[in-house]
Amino acid sequence: MSILATKDTHVVIQGGLAGVNAARRMAEFRYMIKQPLNVSAFVYPPDAGKTNEIICGTELVMIPIYKTVAEATANHPEINTSLVYIGADRAYAGTMEALNDSQIKTVSMITEGVPEKDAKLLGKHARKLGKTFNGPSSIGVVSAGECRLGVIGGAFDNLVACKLYRPGSFGVITKSGGLSNEIIWICSQFADGITTAIGIGGDAYPGTDYVSYLEMFENDPQTKAVVIVGEMGGDLEERAAEWYGAKKRRIKLLAVVSGFCQESLPKGMKFGHAGAKEGLKGEGSARAKSEALKKAGAIVPETFGALGPAIKATHEELLKSGQVKPIPDLAPADMPKLPKTVQESMKEGEVLVTPLIRSTISDDRGDEPLYQGYPASELINNGYDIPHIIGLLWDNRLVSKQEAEIIKRIIMLSADHGPCVSGALTTIIAACAGIGLSQAVAAGMIMIGPRFGGAVTDAGRWFKYAIDNKLSVDDFLVYMKKNVGPVPGIGHRVKSLKNPDKRVKELVGYVKSLNMATPHLDFALEVEKITAVKKDNLILNVDGTMAAVLVDIGFPVDSLNGFFILSRTIGMIGHWTDQKKQGSRLIRLFDYLVNYASPKRREVPPLK
Amino acid sequence: MAKVLEGPGMGLLRKWGISTPNYAVVTSSDEFDQLSQVNDWLQKSKLVVKAHEALGSRFKLGLVKVGLDLTAAKAAVREMLGKKMETLTIRQVIVSEAVDHKEEYYAAAKSTRDGVDLLVATCGGIEVESNWDKVKHVSIETGETLTDSALSSLVKDAGFSGDTAAKMAEFLKKLHACFENEDAQYVEVNPVVLSSQGELVALDAVTLLDGDAKFRHKDWTFPFAAEFGRAYTKNEEEVMAVDAKVKGSVKLIEIPGGNIAMLPAGGGASVYYSDAVVARGGKLANYAEYSGDPPDWAVEVLTEKVCSLPGIKHIIVGGAIANFTDVKKTFGGIINAFRKAKAEGKLQGVKIWVRRGGPNELQGLAAMRALQDEGFDIQVFDRKTPLTDIVDMAMAAK
Repeated sequence: MSILATKDTHVVIQGGLAGVNAARRMAEFRYMIKQPLNVSAFVYPPDAGKTNEIICGTELVMIPIYKTVAEATANHPEINTSLVYIGADRAYAGTMEALNDSQIKTVSMITEGVPEKDAKLLGKHARKLGKTFNGPSSIGVVSAGECRLGVIGGAFDNLVACKLYRPGSFGVITKSGGLSNEIIWICSQFADGITTAIGIGGDAYPGTDYVSYLEMFENDPQTKAVVIVGEMGGDLEERAAEWYGAKKRRIKLLAVVSGFCQESLPKGMKFGHAGAKEGLKGEGSARAKSEALKKAGAIVPETFGALGPAIKATHEELLKSGQVKPIPDLAPADMPKLPKTVQESMKEGEVLVTPLIRSTISDDRGDEPLYQGYPASELINNGYDIPHIIGLLWDNRLVSKQEAEIIKRIIMLSADHGPCVSGALTTIIAACAGIGLSQAVAAGMIMIGPRFGGAVTDAGRWFKYAIDNKLSVDDFLVYMKKNVGPVPGIGHRVKSLKNPDKRVKELVGYVKSLNMATPHLDFALEVEKITAVKKDNLILNVDGTMAAVLVDIGFPVDSLNGFFILSRTIGMIGHWTDQKKQGSRLIRLFDYLVNYASPKRREVPPLK
Repeated sequence: MAKVLEGPGMGLLRKWGISTPNYAVVTSSDEFDQLSQVNDWLQKSKLVVKAHEALGSRFKLGLVKVGLDLTAAKAAVREMLGKKMETLTIRQVIVSEAVDHKEEYYAAAKSTRDGVDLLVATCGGIEVESNWDKVKHVSIETGETLTDSALSSLVKDAGFSGDTAAKMAEFLKKLHACFENEDAQYVEVNPVVLSSQGELVALDAVTLLDGDAKFRHKDWTFPFAAEFGRAYTKNEEEVMAVDAKVKGSVKLIEIPGGNIAMLPAGGGASVYYSDAVVARGGKLANYAEYSGDPPDWAVEVLTEKVCSLPGIKHIIVGGAIANFTDVKKTFGGIINAFRKAKAEGKLQGVKIWVRRGGPNELQGLAAMRALQDEGFDIQVFDRKTPLTDIVDMAMAAK
């Protein structure tokens, strides 16, 4: 047994991110005791209609989010408890909503900095309705082996270390969140652990005080003793003492009170908790409280440090009188464990994961990208240039200075070819239609294909085929005519022998001036000699030239179109930016540029 | 709780219909000269001049002067402004009109667990201290309204009669309205005087407001004052500024003359650490606390201030087993500040004592322990060492 938070507790959490985090912690607790999650719903108007994803062991559970508490309880008739994680300025209204819901019997408020007046009104309202209002500023409530409300108890390892997977015999009531956890730990090490631990919050006027909870513990047969961690200020400890001394109680009471230092500190000093404040007339001092508790028959150790041994002595007495039985410890192997994430398991070398993809070019896991293992910054600082990066990423190798120069020239020559060509025109039309940069450039990019700029790869493939198979130019042309069709890389829409393409001349001239073998380029030029005789414009075009040169310097055939795509991207970005700068408006084709060859206007026949 | 100085406190009373003497808060002699040229009461009435700062026992310090004419008041203003009192320089004085009166009474409203108590007595001023049994009160439960019959029987019970009883009942009604609507926690008017015109006037006010309710009082434009008879120090104010900005909390109060510096976690545990030091006869150099998983940089700022406290011999980096404050992260902030302090030549001969548990405690404690290799005199303990044992060890160490 336990109090306040039990195996029958079902929760709605009011609030956003902090509430979701609490639900995750609560799910960890439930996993530890092998029970399903006891959070049924969230109330958070901004996200109403959505769900929150909560990890429960190895599963992900979707918990619905509602706009109002009433909706949550109507859809989840098991809900009997609300946890409030709403900001201090809205917490009053939200908590009232929960208290006024007939299904909800307990409301625990985690919110800090709630105005005192609001807290008092909420406490009063709850008492009137016969409900429990715990907090504000409560760290939560935990009942070992049954239920956790909020983040009390901390991380999973701590829950296990504190034996919260099974009930002990000690109840705990504290104002301080951190100390609740400390006492839970002490009870698990010096005695048999806790039944329920309650954080009532450090405010001046907690919604529910020690006395109400002592009464509940008195009626809980599992709880044999209760530990109170008090502090100066207010009269809660005095009232607890009064309750304990009023008649013979079943439970033993242990208590410590903080604030003795107050006697030697500047008067009125403000401590961490709003409630930790001596009265203006000196009432509520730590000494007065300790004396009152002692007089009432409670065990009051002189210091916090002496609390452990006192708890131990109490437990031994309980064992001796037979009120509690020793609880054997779990063997280490039987201790609850949280499932590990894949990352954690891999770190510990426990699992092998088959990777989904393999990358042979770069690595992003360090503080800067590595291209083929070379840090980008070191490449820069050693004088390497963009063509080297292309070599590393497209062909897994560092190209030579001379090769880099060729690549650079190819890019420079094919960066743009004016606004009229398919790619640029499409990009411009898109830009004028108000389309964004990446989409407009992608639209232009779509034009790159067999008829526009996309013949580099195919040209390279067939020139290479000819060289690899030692074909003569004639045999090659016969083979192509029979099996492929027009030779990729040969032919131009406007350029011809009489109107040669300066770019081709430039590139060929440069490459031929170098001291390097150019079998593919030589072959391509031989092919041109024959085709251009057949037809004036069947010249080696820029695609074909690039292809032959790039195959000569060893680039893989499949990467070749990339050189055109890369270069032309520069131009397309330029065209888009250009239109944008000018504020160009939507354009459309003039109808006189269209040959309307469709049938003239005519009668629509009746529908059959 | 948040203390409010007399000027804004009187302002709140006036807002709710309570008469106060004419008063002005002034920050320079020139300003006072200008005010005296346009305000009749400054020229005609007897005046009271008081330092308008968070200071206790102003009378004893000579910072309250009564029965002055304008010339004497000007001299008093000049004398007080800029005067240095230990950590504080007087920057404001309040000049108010003396009110001719025969009778002095006492009235107060104070928050209790069940609601609010209204207190009243026929003796006021310093008289009330020795006549506490004459103070009568009525308790108004949270959410209940204050009835006229409750008020009239209270004032009768306290010994008021006739016309004055009716006036005091009316006065208390306004005081209660002010208390409730301004989210006050304590308002004491002492004395309330019956002026020669037959009007009840509040001569002085001690006002504590609920700082947490500031969000719904846009007219609280005044700063809150320190509550312990001195102004906040620069370090305290800087930590308060950080505290106001971050999730969680960081707090600092300096205590001159101590040599045990405190840097514990948790609003609850921090007090037990302070208790342990005092119980072992140690002298605290400060109170500090961080909690609610504050960002590491906030803890770093707090640590810097703690490291720069003069004359410290020990730093107690204590803490219970945290629920959700990340030990590794918050210790990271502390470690940064320790390194900075050491590089600046601080922390020489200072012993550091650490005890902590909570999320990522292993990594956090290991990082602290590693400071030994950097030449720090640091001892690190985990959850197995009881909470305040490090204080015992520090006090036993030479």
